[in-house]
Amino acid sequence: MVDIVPLSSYPSYIDLLPSIQTCNITNLPENYFLKYYLYHALTWPQLSFVAVVRPKNGYAAGPGKEYPKVVGYVLAKMEEEPTDGLAHGHITSLSVMRTHRRLGIAERLMRMSQRAMAESHRANYASLHVRMSNTAALHLYRDTLGFEVEKVESKYYADGEDAYAMKMDLRSMWIDWAEIERVDKEKLRQQEKEQKKTDGDGDDDGHPDEGDEVGELGKKDADKMIRVKVGRALGVGDLVERNEAQGTS
Amino acid sequence: MPQQLSSKDSSLFRQVVRFYENKQYKKGIKAAEQILRKTPNHGDTQAMKALIMSNLGQQEEAFVLAKEALKNDMRSHVCWHVYGLLYRQDKNYEEAIKAYRFALKIEPESQPIQRDLALLQMQMRDYPGYIQSRSAMLQARPGIRQNWTALAIAHHLSGDLEEAEKVLTTYEETLKTPPPLSDMEHSEAVLYKNTIIAESGNLERALEHLESVGHRISDVLAVMEMKADYLLRLGRTEEADAAYTALIERNPENSVYYDALIRVKGIPKDDHKALKAVYDSWVDKNPRGDAPRRIPLDFLEGDDFKQAADTYLQRMLRKGVPSLFANIKTLYANPSKRDIVQELVEGYASGNVELQSNGSADKQANGDNKYFEASTYYFLAQHYNYHLSRDLTKATEYVDKAIELTPKSVEYLMTKARIWKHQGDLGKAAETMEQARLLDEKDRYINSKAAKYQLRNDENDKALDNMSKFTRNETVGGALGDLHEMQCVWYLTEDGESYLRQKKLALALKRFHAVYNIFDVWQEDQFDFHSFSLRKGMIRAYVDMVRWEDRLRDHPFYSRVAIDAIKTYILLHDEPDLVHGPIPASSLDDLDGAERKKALKKAKKEQLRLEKIEAEKREARKANAKSADGEVKKEDPDPLGNKLVQTQDPLKDATKFLTPLLEFNPQNFEAQSLGFEVYLRRGKFVPALKCLEAAHSIDAANPALQQQLARFKKALETLPEPLPAQVAEVVNSELEQLSSKLVKA
Repeated sequence: MVDIVPLSSYPSYIDLLPSIQTCNITNLPENYFLKYYLYHALTWPQLSFVAVVRPKNGYAAGPGKEYPKVVGYVLAKMEEEPTDGLAHGHITSLSVMRTHRRLGIAERLMRMSQRAMAESHRANYASLHVRMSNTAALHLYRDTLGFEVEKVESKYYADGEDAYAMKMDLRSMWIDWAEIERVDKEKLRQQEKEQKKTDGDGDDDGHPDEGDEVGELGKKDADKMIRVKVGRALGVGDLVERNEAQGTS
Repeated sequence: MPQQLSSKDSSLFRQVVRFYENKQYKKGIKAAEQILRKTPNHGDTQAMKALIMSNLGQQEEAFVLAKEALKNDMRSHVCWHVYGLLYRQDKNYEEAIKAYRFALKIEPESQPIQRDLALLQMQMRDYPGYIQSRSAMLQARPGIRQNWTALAIAHHLSGDLEEAEKVLTTYEETLKTPPPLSDMEHSEAVLYKNTIIAESGNLERALEHLESVGHRISDVLAVMEMKADYLLRLGRTEEADAAYTALIERNPENSVYYDALIRVKGIPKDDHKALKAVYDSWVDKNPRGDAPRRIPLDFLEGDDFKQAADTYLQRMLRKGVPSLFANIKTLYANPSKRDIVQELVEGYASGNVELQSNGSADKQANGDNKYFEASTYYFLAQHYNYHLSRDLTKATEYVDKAIELTPKSVEYLMTKARIWKHQGDLGKAAETMEQARLLDEKDRYINSKAAKYQLRNDENDKALDNMSKFTRNETVGGALGDLHEMQCVWYLTEDGESYLRQKKLALALKRFHAVYNIFDVWQEDQFDFHSFSLRKGMIRAYVDMVRWEDRLRDHPFYSRVAIDAIKTYILLHDEPDLVHGPIPASSLDDLDGAERKKALKKAKKEQLRLEKIEAEKREARKANAKSADGEVKKEDPDPLGNKLVQTQDPLKDATKFLTPLLEFNPQNFEAQSLGFEVYLRRGKFVPALKCLEAAHSIDAANPALQQQLARFKKALETLPEPLPAQVAEVVNSELEQLSSKLVKA
């Protein structure tokens, strides 16, 4: 029986990475160092999923445990510098072993990833590339999942084949974040009012300018955007920004 | 006294640093040299130059210069820092830490030195040191959240959950307003805190915390999973029921959820009707899913099983799901279920199909029937090829029937190849798999399979040629080079095992070491994440990664290759002539040794021939590499593994593989058994006996144990010198115990 589980969220199946890498290089011509998988798993831990054959004795941990067999995976990310300025997800790699096709595994993997892109990262849409000759995959993305062909990217693949660049809107899966904020703020205000009543005295309305520090910190992080080169020979070393590589004081 | 720079050169020195930081190495070297022309013994400049050289790959020269720099200026933190960085580059972490510490003593306020030290302490799992470094970094810059999180991680991993939680809470309390929902760093830190609370065992509190913060967490699925897990473990069945129901609605393909749901519903294991009803309700909600249809086959018995299996099998056969057999073969552990499945599918094959419903009957077109028929034959071929229901004649019959109906099916030919393999005809198996490959040349899966079967048939060159259809062959080392670079563990392992079978030990060792090195790279890979993950804020995933790295080599990829390598070294130790290449075993007990000599001579000649070919190839590549631009990649100086096989001490080399194997796979009988063989040959009686004991506790009935025990005793008796008294005492008492246990068995 095949189970669909998260790669690096809760529970974590990160120890399957070598098996996922093997699944990839067994099935597809586009391969990556293990570090590139790690980079996905540790940057967007919500987005990648694995299809495994349930071990005979379940998923026991500890010594002597049986590693489940990996028969499929989806490796996904958020585009780090979207050219259109819209946050969106991207499917880096998806494959299912030939022996386990037609079970709906790829569809399930995709749906899990898409949903996480929308909920966790507010992705406006998901994008992916597919070989023009890969009709089975095209069928899945277009007919089953609802992706649309955006354009043809000529000679996208190393062997010279063209790719369809496809995308799918994810906003229907967004959460009403504004509503959550509103309710929580309301609750907070209520609490503060009660607090004031019991305290007797009050310093007007609490907090506003405390927000600054947080905001500034947030900005600092935003400045630390990482430049990404696309390609298989990519390790995190290349992704680390310059001042991190600094040697001396 | 260290030399001083003019103010002009001082600013030039600052430029050197900047060039280095911006990775403008050539400019950096030039500027450094300009300074050194006037002030040749300026330590800091020499150190910076050395650092840049090391980044340009001139590691040895860099070390020489860095040492000189230190000689010129022992009191310079720059020199010590660079010295440490060079050691770190060399992966000599202990020396690197020492050098960083010197640098930090001179310049206690330096953030970069402190940070570099901390990263290495983490990599080395020096938790007390890491806590110290992280505390200092936090004190220096308490306004940065990362510094708080990092200290919490340090405490958490060192086992101090309470302190870890406290650090996180302290930071949280400085936030007067909650950060916005979009702040993922905050969201992850809060969830991280929750996992720490849960880990401390106080699930009640973890749940309470999760319920107060959960709705603001961006990883929605994780919150659902954690909540369900806590509720289940707390025995709060009603809420757990709802939580698992919600999870299944989100992802109906995870058997763990159903297990939990059944548990919280409190349905007795033998109330099959009630159990089935639960699963049926999920089939209705999710008609395309597999799990709720498949799971009941595990618990149903007798006629109920037959009926459910009939429905399940027919549906999947009609859909032509190629993984049907793989999906149900675990049922065969129960012989009556195995027989029922056989009876049912044999029935379909002979035309006894009771159509399940009018609906599907109406839709049956002729083409559909043919599909069903072929799928049925295909299923039966796999069934009779499986070890619990094997009848290879029948398997062949059925697979041929399936192929006749659908000659272009890759899957059917694949199964035919597997049947050949089980018949022991590896040649035919490889040939058939190659036929399957030719049916779909653009599919890498079948390409990989064909290559694997060729390797099993010891056709290494053919296999590599097949692989090369999907590798980047312009890589240094060609297709094989790409397979190394892309860490293709399965291929390297199979290739090495093939060479071992052929007694080409040099190449076998070469491959096994390649896999060993890949594991080293994977361990090293975590280094960058010690800083990267703090910036990204995805702390839970990072901590899970760190813990996984600590047991990286418990993966079966490692144990398999370690066992292979140890066997190779033992063989090399027992038959040292194999260092020259394969020598037929029969010639070894040849009467006057003439045949053996001849074989040896032939092997040596072949070895020289191969070396010559390889040298020519290398020359040809060198010429090519020069013409292409970019850095010239280092060639492997020993591509055939000759240096590896010419080791002075094969058994000592074997320990390199053995130690992690025994540490991370102590439950593996073969590992313990090989540990015994290595230690016995090395005359290390205590560890040998320990392995034997461990092997005994894993599989007391294994016949190898008696024989190994006998050899152990004999080795003891024939010692040229008696063991030291203390050792002898330990050995004898344990030997006695083990002997008595083995006699009883």
